[in-house]
Amino acid sequence: MATPERVVIAAAGVVTPIGQDLEAFWSSLVTGASGISQIERVPVADLRVQRGGEVKKLGRIKDWRGVPDCRASRLLIAAADDLCAQAGFRPLPLDPARVGVVVGTALGGVEEGEKALAGDRGRRRLPQALYDGPGWSLARWLGARGPVITVSTACASGATAMAVGADLLRAGEVDAVVAGGYDALCRFVLRGFDALRSLTRDEVRPFDRRRSGLLLGEAGALALLVRERDARGARLGTLLGYGSASDGFHIAAPEPEGRGLERAIRAALADARVSAADIDLVSAHGTATPLNDRIETAALKRALGRRAHEVPINSIKGSLGHTMGAAAALEAFMCLLSAQRGLIPPTLHLEEPDPECDLDYVPGQARPGRPRVMLSTSMGFGGCNGALVLEAA
Amino acid sequence: MAAPAIRGLGVLSGDQAKSADWGSAGAISGPPHMKGFKKETVDRKPLEILTLPRPERPGDRFRRATRECLLALAAVDAMLEDGKASREAIAGERTALLYVTAAAYGASNRAFIERRGGVMHFAYTAPAVVPAEVAIEFGVAGPYGILIGGAPATLRAIEQAARLLDAGTCDRALVLAVEIFEECADLYARHRRSYRWPLVETAACLWLERGAGELSFESARGGRRAAGAVGAGERFAAGPLADLRDWRARATAGPVELCGGWRGEQARLHWRPEISHARGSAA
Repeated sequence: MATPERVVIAAAGVVTPIGQDLEAFWSSLVTGASGISQIERVPVADLRVQRGGEVKKLGRIKDWRGVPDCRASRLLIAAADDLCAQAGFRPLPLDPARVGVVVGTALGGVEEGEKALAGDRGRRRLPQALYDGPGWSLARWLGARGPVITVSTACASGATAMAVGADLLRAGEVDAVVAGGYDALCRFVLRGFDALRSLTRDEVRPFDRRRSGLLLGEAGALALLVRERDARGARLGTLLGYGSASDGFHIAAPEPEGRGLERAIRAALADARVSAADIDLVSAHGTATPLNDRIETAALKRALGRRAHEVPINSIKGSLGHTMGAAAALEAFMCLLSAQRGLIPPTLHLEEPDPECDLDYVPGQARPGRPRVMLSTSMGFGGCNGALVLEAA
Repeated sequence: MAAPAIRGLGVLSGDQAKSADWGSAGAISGPPHMKGFKKETVDRKPLEILTLPRPERPGDRFRRATRECLLALAAVDAMLEDGKASREAIAGERTALLYVTAAAYGASNRAFIERRGGVMHFAYTAPAVVPAEVAIEFGVAGPYGILIGGAPATLRAIEQAARLLDAGTCDRALVLAVEIFEECADLYARHRRSYRWPLVETAACLWLERGAGELSFESARGGRRAAGAVGAGERFAAGPLADLRDWRARATAGPVELCGGWRGEQARLHWRPEISHARGSAA
């Protein structure tokens, strides 16, 4: 079988609760800063848990003229602004018709739907409330005239978006893709997770014996993808492979043995044409729910075999919460920055290891290390499992 | 890229007037019906929604399931009937599932926002739950994808399915599309000029396997919106699968050209599939 065309991650841009550009995001991760705080933008007084990873002030962009008054769209565009600053990508240096946009989201612009149902008859509310609304807003802001695709594989959406973006490049449909994920904290999702009793009143403690749930966060995370033969100048790394598999087990709970995640990892390794022995770092989904972390540990052991016990595995959700549609893209960027900077960020708030989670989860502080090939895993509602394999630049 | 072969197609559509047309695809509790906002019109056409009834399905698991989930399951049943296959034929890790919708999650999102159905219905607000119900019910455990958008997203999903089959990533691929409108009828009426009325609720599932025909996909932004072959009404993502059903019913030889537009994107899929024309309108 012919080797598929390699796709390069030329640059990345983010807006997160721990930093509103890639540099700030990275320094917060390695210094163990936390972005968790009392939620202020939406009313939460009636909720059991009132904290999360909220972006307090979207300070990057001063002039929002022409951009819908939609939090999700603005998070996405703020991340794009960071991306453009790093890549020199605006105005587009390419034929706009050859630039695509692929974004992943778990919630789209659902907050606009809440406003529309509350009586706001604004002309743009309904189009923005559809889950693909923010993706189109981003394309307009960028001036991109190629395909605009929104994927919604729940919390694996960011990984799916990057894989679909790579497919567009390999198919020759475009010459560059802005791909990644986003989601905003809003009443809708906070009330939902509060009702599911998935949220913790404690810190988010991935793989810790005392872990008691997740906290939600909001973020936007975008990468500029190009074919390797078209790449010029600096780059973050290469997207080597992607795999997905559905659990077919339950609409909200993961399959207890993690078989779906195991299949997704194996598929990603095969797609990347690497073996488990090649993996040097794993960015785990690591939500800190009692079930997720145990299941993920078991799946990693089966999929990676002995290598699972040898490689560092971290989760960054203790720092910024679960950023849903943005999570997988942020975790992929963390992997590539680790390789570039020679440091592996710690799993924040992991203090008492769980005997059932007995792998090396990088507790305490950042650790020197320069991984070459990295695996990032994601699990989501509806039994969506995704895995990305990345290679250092 | 080699075109996939069509192994089965199930389409449940709000414009099928007789309940007999449904065959045994799920136990539908009544014939499709029309909901009208007769006093409000666009270009003198009344705002109407051709709705699909909520399918009934035995089992406690489906007590809470939303209408869009149950319609997805009924569409898969119809597809299996069309393909004269048992449910075991699509079970397992070698079956990919690609789900497309522009708006089917609107109903459950609204119910949750307005606190109807209880807060535990939150899980059903995720678009991912519709294919999840299909995966659970039919044991589908292979690669998956969920695209949000109108007809171009469905055409892209068919192309993606062809690519997965071509690469040997799966042995069969299901392209599922569900669109329902009734629960958010007032919101669509608010934006009446954005749609081609009536809105036609549709649930459809296409079963593809490796084939030897030809397939090409193209999309562009701008220009006039391609209406698709089914002239009357708006089906969002489900439109191309309804068009495919009609093409099969005509039993014409030669290629099919599926097209559609959404938010200014026009897409076209030129497809010469291997196909049996033995079944027609029931599909």
